[in-house]
Amino acid sequence: MAGTSIIFRREVYQYFTTPVSYFIAAGFLLLTGLYFNGDVAYSITRKAINPALIPDFMATLMILFGPLLTMRMLAEEEREGTLELLLTAPASDAAIVIGKYLAAWFYYTLLLALTFSYQLIVVQISQPDLSHTFCAYIGIWLYGGATLAIGILFSSLTENQVVAAFMSLATLVFLYLGDIAGQIVANLDLARVIRQLSILGHYSTSFSYGLVRAEDVAYFAGIIVIMLFIAIRVVESHRWR
Amino acid sequence: MRKVWISRLTAQKMIEVQNLTKQYGNFTAVNGITFEAQAGEIVGLLGPNGAGKTTTMRMLTGFMPPTSGTAKIAGFDIFDDSMEVRKRVGYLPERVPIYPDMTVRGYVDFWARLRGVKNSKSQVTQVLERVHLLDRQKTLVRNLSKGMRQRLGLAQALVHDPEVIILDEPTIGIDPQQVIEVRDSVRELGKKHTILFSTHILSEAEQVCDRVVIINKGQIIAEGTPANLRQKLQRGNSLYVQIVGANLAQATDMLSGVAGFESLTAQGEGYILRTRNSNDVRGQIAERVVQSGYRLVELRPVAMTLEDIFLDLVGRE
Repeated sequence: MAGTSIIFRREVYQYFTTPVSYFIAAGFLLLTGLYFNGDVAYSITRKAINPALIPDFMATLMILFGPLLTMRMLAEEEREGTLELLLTAPASDAAIVIGKYLAAWFYYTLLLALTFSYQLIVVQISQPDLSHTFCAYIGIWLYGGATLAIGILFSSLTENQVVAAFMSLATLVFLYLGDIAGQIVANLDLARVIRQLSILGHYSTSFSYGLVRAEDVAYFAGIIVIMLFIAIRVVESHRWR
Repeated sequence: MRKVWISRLTAQKMIEVQNLTKQYGNFTAVNGITFEAQAGEIVGLLGPNGAGKTTTMRMLTGFMPPTSGTAKIAGFDIFDDSMEVRKRVGYLPERVPIYPDMTVRGYVDFWARLRGVKNSKSQVTQVLERVHLLDRQKTLVRNLSKGMRQRLGLAQALVHDPEVIILDEPTIGIDPQQVIEVRDSVRELGKKHTILFSTHILSEAEQVCDRVVIINKGQIIAEGTPANLRQKLQRGNSLYVQIVGANLAQATDMLSGVAGFESLTAQGEGYILRTRNSNDVRGQIAERVVQSGYRLVELRPVAMTLEDIFLDLVGRE
């Protein structure tokens, strides 16, 4: 996989030198901060604080931020013509896609790390179950990884960033709402199948309660592998068009 | 070991293309072309737009596989040893690919690393100096002028010191001063590298290339050194004749008896007379004009340019 680390470093550099990614980070912190603030105020008077508060909110937020963080990655390469040069460099198609994906995941991990500041505040004012929080973070880290893989796939399919973002957003909303659809179906077996396919169900029924289940880890890993595999094939298909 | 040995054995032929064909569905973009380039040669791929130049180059750079036929770069097959080929080729596509948000230095450094350049720092400095962008190394690529971007593209193609450099229409869309600069640098590069250079401008091919391959509708229609091509394809002579007071019909009447007469066309104040063979007919012309009672004021041979040959060839297809 020669080239993966070089592609990875260029993409990370790109995240830190373009204003857009700072806007995305600012938006992310603003939304999580507001949510956190509201919930803390509420929990002082009414209920105990939720140890998985921020990860739970991020499960919704990543439906929007997953596409935003990845829409540029392959669409822009195609638009600027750099994809042609990448495909004639001595790096495999897989190295290109995986290098980019890992950079997106790395940036997402940094955003996630910024939310630890909220946990510091919680620890100061309460005694949360930190193992519960930790599990939820592992879950949302994998969950976010899956949304980014879907974003990369749609970014490879078009040279228009907006179209890429919209298509991955639509797909993610579909996968997200699958959980709700599962809840309103009367047939229990069918409901179970629908919930198994939905992306939220693999977080909200386990990680969110502090559980790490092999099947959920396998689900997110499976989504990531399948999406990246298709994205690599799509990139490769540029050679045949 | 084996690969190194093969590479040395055929080191003289840097580009070897045999019966290369590329089809898109039913459309044949490149149809069985065969040519080669020796080490240190500048070969021009010349043809009108849509002739198959870019497709040929894309196959040679390992971007797309051929439908049939083979090609070797520095002894490595473009399909079987694609990675080896890619390490040895520097490629500048027609539209210079840029990362607008990178600095000039960062951009060149990225391509150097990706292509496995070991001492990328000194190599990048060297190549930036060569394309006169060293004083701009901290500028963002988005702020470069078109000519500078072209030079940046060239820097990217040179940074790993490739044996073969493939340039797709490098002089398109830049101002005349910069065109001259690019041509000069291509000639300069030809001393060390093998260059395949595409253009649809004939005079450019004539000035820059050691050898020209003329391609039209995916097929090679002529090949040779510019001088050679002119000689081989120039059938007969062209003469400029100016006669006072004679219209085209009268002049044709006068001169149609000249040995090997082919055509007479008006040009400026005089006429262009073409003959089928290369005998010197100037004496005959002078004699005929004077005998008919007209005055001959100018008579000189016109060298047929590659332009004429090219139009002639392409038109004949």
